[in-house]
Amino acid sequence: MSDGPLIVQSDKTLLLDIDHPLSVECRRAIAPFAELERAPEHMHTYRLTNLGLWNARAAGHDAEMVIDTLIKYSRYAVPHALLIDVAEQMSRYGRLRLEADPVHGLILVTTDTAVLEEVIRAKKIAPLLGPRIDAETIAVHPSQRGAIKQSLLRLGWPAEDFAGYVDGQAHPIDLKQDGWKIREYQEHAAEGFWHGGSGVVVLPCGAGKTIVGAAAMAHAKATTLILVTNTVAARQWRDELLKRTSLNEDEIGEYSGSKKEIRPVTIATYQVMTKKKNGVYAHLDLFDSHDWGLIIYDEVHLLPAPIFRFTADIQSRRRLGLTATLVREDGMEGEVFSLIGPKRFDVPWKEIEAQGYIAPAECIEVRVNLTEAERLAYATAEPEERYRYCATTRTKRDVVQELVSLHAKEQILVIGQYLDQLDDLGETLGCPVIQGSTPQKEREELFQSFRTGEISCLVVSKVANFSIDLPEATIAIQVSGAFGSRQEEAQRLGRVLRPKADGRGARFYSVVSRDTIDQDFAQNRQRFLAEQGYSYTIIDADDVFQGKI
Amino acid sequence: MEIRSYADYLRSLSDDALIALFHSRSDLTSPVPSDIASLAVRASSIPSLVRAIDSLNKWQLQVLEAAAVIAEPFTEKELLQHTDKTAKFAIAALVDRALIYQSHDGYRIPNNVREVLGNEIAGLGTPATKKLKLKDLENAPAASKKVLDAMVWGPPRGAVADVKKPNPGLKWLMDEGFVSPVNQQTVVLHREVALALRGNKVHRELFITQPAIEGRTVNSKSLQLAAIANITTFLRWTEEVLNFWSQEPATALKAGGIGVRDLRDLSQHLGVETECASFVIEVAYISGLVTIDPDDRVLPTHQFDIWLAQPASVKWENLVSAWLITSRLSGLAAAPMGPELDRSTAALIRRKVLALLEESSPVAPTLESLRAATQWNLPYRRTGGIPAEYIEWIAREAEWLGITGQGALSQYGALLLSGDALDVIDSDLPATVDHILIQSDNTAIAPGPLEHEVSQELDLIADIESRGAATVFRFSESSLRRGLDHGRTGDEILAFLKKTSKTPVPQPLEYLIGDISKKHGKLRVGIASSFIRCEDTALITQILRDKKVEALGLRRIAPEVMICTHDAHDAMQVLRDAGYLPAGEDSQGLLLSGPRVQRAQTKARPPRIVGEFEQPERALLEIAVRTIRTGEKSSAKQSTLRDISQEALGSLPRTTANETLDLLTKHLKETPTKSLSIGYADNNGLVSHRIIDPLKISAGSLLARDHATGEVLTFRIPRITGVATL
Repeated sequence: MSDGPLIVQSDKTLLLDIDHPLSVECRRAIAPFAELERAPEHMHTYRLTNLGLWNARAAGHDAEMVIDTLIKYSRYAVPHALLIDVAEQMSRYGRLRLEADPVHGLILVTTDTAVLEEVIRAKKIAPLLGPRIDAETIAVHPSQRGAIKQSLLRLGWPAEDFAGYVDGQAHPIDLKQDGWKIREYQEHAAEGFWHGGSGVVVLPCGAGKTIVGAAAMAHAKATTLILVTNTVAARQWRDELLKRTSLNEDEIGEYSGSKKEIRPVTIATYQVMTKKKNGVYAHLDLFDSHDWGLIIYDEVHLLPAPIFRFTADIQSRRRLGLTATLVREDGMEGEVFSLIGPKRFDVPWKEIEAQGYIAPAECIEVRVNLTEAERLAYATAEPEERYRYCATTRTKRDVVQELVSLHAKEQILVIGQYLDQLDDLGETLGCPVIQGSTPQKEREELFQSFRTGEISCLVVSKVANFSIDLPEATIAIQVSGAFGSRQEEAQRLGRVLRPKADGRGARFYSVVSRDTIDQDFAQNRQRFLAEQGYSYTIIDADDVFQGKI
Repeated sequence: MEIRSYADYLRSLSDDALIALFHSRSDLTSPVPSDIASLAVRASSIPSLVRAIDSLNKWQLQVLEAAAVIAEPFTEKELLQHTDKTAKFAIAALVDRALIYQSHDGYRIPNNVREVLGNEIAGLGTPATKKLKLKDLENAPAASKKVLDAMVWGPPRGAVADVKKPNPGLKWLMDEGFVSPVNQQTVVLHREVALALRGNKVHRELFITQPAIEGRTVNSKSLQLAAIANITTFLRWTEEVLNFWSQEPATALKAGGIGVRDLRDLSQHLGVETECASFVIEVAYISGLVTIDPDDRVLPTHQFDIWLAQPASVKWENLVSAWLITSRLSGLAAAPMGPELDRSTAALIRRKVLALLEESSPVAPTLESLRAATQWNLPYRRTGGIPAEYIEWIAREAEWLGITGQGALSQYGALLLSGDALDVIDSDLPATVDHILIQSDNTAIAPGPLEHEVSQELDLIADIESRGAATVFRFSESSLRRGLDHGRTGDEILAFLKKTSKTPVPQPLEYLIGDISKKHGKLRVGIASSFIRCEDTALITQILRDKKVEALGLRRIAPEVMICTHDAHDAMQVLRDAGYLPAGEDSQGLLLSGPRVQRAQTKARPPRIVGEFEQPERALLEIAVRTIRTGEKSSAKQSTLRDISQEALGSLPRTTANETLDLLTKHLKETPTKSLSIGYADNNGLVSHRIIDPLKISAGSLLARDHATGEVLTFRIPRITGVATL
């Protein structure tokens, strides 16, 4: 019995003991085929999924290598049934291939006619197929490349896609590394993506996803469409690309509510793409307006449904998804993987923190007590009003005020969900409020003066959940959120994770009403971060007032 | 001494030979027969022969079949001619089992062997009644040859449109006597003819040696590792199933066994397919760890508690040794623990499969070769060979149990089969751990097999998220509440976690435990049938102390409220009798006044009207008349017959069982056409008198035509109380 760092469970989870001397080596060995599920302090959980195993096959690893790795690092005997299952699943990959044929266009070829017979009889697949060419070959409608791959995956017979990618219109793009250097993990991520063709890169907030995007563009050297969440993010992308790459201002266009530029590198917002005019999506043509060589989806966990559908149709273009938190409360993670591509790179947040690329952060849950009158009002509130009631309780205001005064010398963000609560806080704290209705120009001015330190405290609504680059913010105070959304919590923490010039750590306060559903939601919200190894400390509001923090 | 019968032969055997016979046919000595005559009867009885023939391998069976179709007596040479030179050894084995014996004029086989082998042994028909000119076969016309070709390797019967109008080919064969009609539409090819055409061989293909076992050689280290992983897993499954049922016992089906839904729940709980779950249940059941109690609940037994305390090797041995000898096959599609899983041959097949695995270790045989070898070794089953899936199930179960690892027999399996001590399992199993690692995402990981006490406690307060060598537990509100429901306090839980965890207990978990234990039990629920309330607390106190109302079992739950175990009506009656003035209240708190009118709680069910019948339809009446008439006729006939026989005999014949059998056999041999009078007991033990024409004795039954009904019936010989000739 070896004394390895890995415990292989019969339910296909792998537990990695990170305090073990071989843990780093083992992580590298299992990363190609196992998916990181949780990364708390002591034991990381990986999972063997069919998708992960097939991706490993696609990347050139075979079942024998997977089995050898498991046996080599395993602490206990590996369940035999699991090994058989691994071999079996991996052997399913590649029995079907999608190829480009000079005569018939896109074709589905098999090495095993029984499999082909099985899949062409499947109800969901039959409509996607053209005429049968011979016993082993059948034509596929070229427009259905994405759909057929998705359906085959669901049937458990993933097709290996040899039809390739279109190169798109060439455009010279290079990284301009003057005075800065691309980090090792960013390079790994970009390369992992490039070798796989398409896929998703998962990196913590503040870890420089934009640079991964830029590096991918430098690999592609082709016209690129970048989809981002909002206009502020679009401008940040533009600034970053100007700084980091050989692109100049004329080569980068913005396609948003206010501007409609199409340039070799075009940055568009999800909002404009999904805007309907007379019942049709007027701007989806953008996908076809140019022979794009690369499409980048920023914050891919927010990808709206219409874009999902459209993405299925552009399978011959390279696609890169970027996100920090690929958890969707709607359970659509699987769709992201099958349409954009598999996860190509993922790394525990704490590891990046250990390398010093994101600021260490402390998470604190502050529990406030409702007054007797508030409790009574809460108990009698309509069920759908309850969360709003306890999340916006007046008691929170005093705690926030106290916290702000405790950290008076630092840059503070106060983040919330409900506008009247935010307005109220803005008034109490005497600082500006940014919300959906704040004009674009004013927003940028406010963010700018926050960056320079003119303003030390900002109250923001969910518009600031993503992509807002505020490097000097060190304190975030969350007063309310979108119910139990895990990714929102992580994104909000992400606002303060940019490494600080003086190496200071960040603090994330979450103010929660005790014994209400606010507390239950808070527990769910914290799960993602807890699984990334961030442990919350719970303190009483009274401790805050007594300065015991 | 001249050997004229089977009994004579047995009498002539030496003590050693008899012991060898008893060794290969152990059923002959239980109970020990009183003399050689009864031994001969037992050894040639059908049940005993079935067992003996079942233990033959395919080659021995083929030789026995050949012996059964050539004319008695025969010489060894004749038998070799009909089979193969190597049959000598097979003959010796058959002689050892007394399935062939040497009489004064050559080899013979005991009565009933042919019976057991079945009709048309090796696809050969009945012998011809007259001498045939077999040489003429060579000159058979082409059309006849075609018929012969079709019938020579069996089945020997052929269907024709009408035997009276045969086609030319068949006509020639019938004229020559090679083929005879059986009935209007069937003809049979005679045995001598088929044998001659087969070139004096009985079988087309001889299976002299066991088919080779093929497969992949397993590296011995990974074999043992796989086996030990299987053993650990199986012990864990067993423990989990029974723990699962200790919390929530399943309910057995009316017909016995575990229902589909419970099985599905369990297989989800274990994370295995249902076949595997039902096997785990079966093994626990046959090892006595779980039982169905009189209330149909499926519950672990005390044996389970004893089992839990044992070291792994003993635990494993308990399970596996029960599995080795059980006649139950959990692979059959029936409810586990139910009544329909028994197959009498299961243990024999299982032993054989394991023996083959032992022979071939460290090769993991392919299923096909294992199946072929097993079927060669155990060819004869009256149902037509061993079902191939039995062998697959046995191999699968051996793997689950860890007798094999990666398909090849493990060291532990070998020790088990040889009956040696299994202590080595304990040292090969991964060492247990006594600690857990609690992490900030509210999970706890036991990085190895957990000690029993710790895992039991953790099971109470956490949900298991992942199972295997290690266990991942998750703490949640509901899991912690479960712990509190089982009588743990928040402080106890926290103290336990602090003691068991190698890592500090994260603060959010501490808070979670604190929050839940604070809320737990704030609401109290109890049972009461009625309540008594009064704004005057003094009156409440007075009633509480009043001896006259003691019977009501009052309990004060608030200054102004008491609860009572009797219903409101009784409570009011008692209070009134004691001189108080209570008034009733309805569920809305409104005062009820006026006399209480009582109503039944059940639905009205007026009695059925008796005395009038529906007019039956004419067709039904006609059927009734017909039935009566038929009955009338048959009983008239019976009584006539009874009169005749009673006249002839005076009363029911009485003979002992042995006499009965003798008389019947003799009668069939000597005067087969005459009728017999017998007494026959029916299912209720009532003896009736029957007049019969006996046809045949087979498998402990007499086939005969009953005069009363004119039908051919089967009479069980033990139920015949006596026989007399008419």
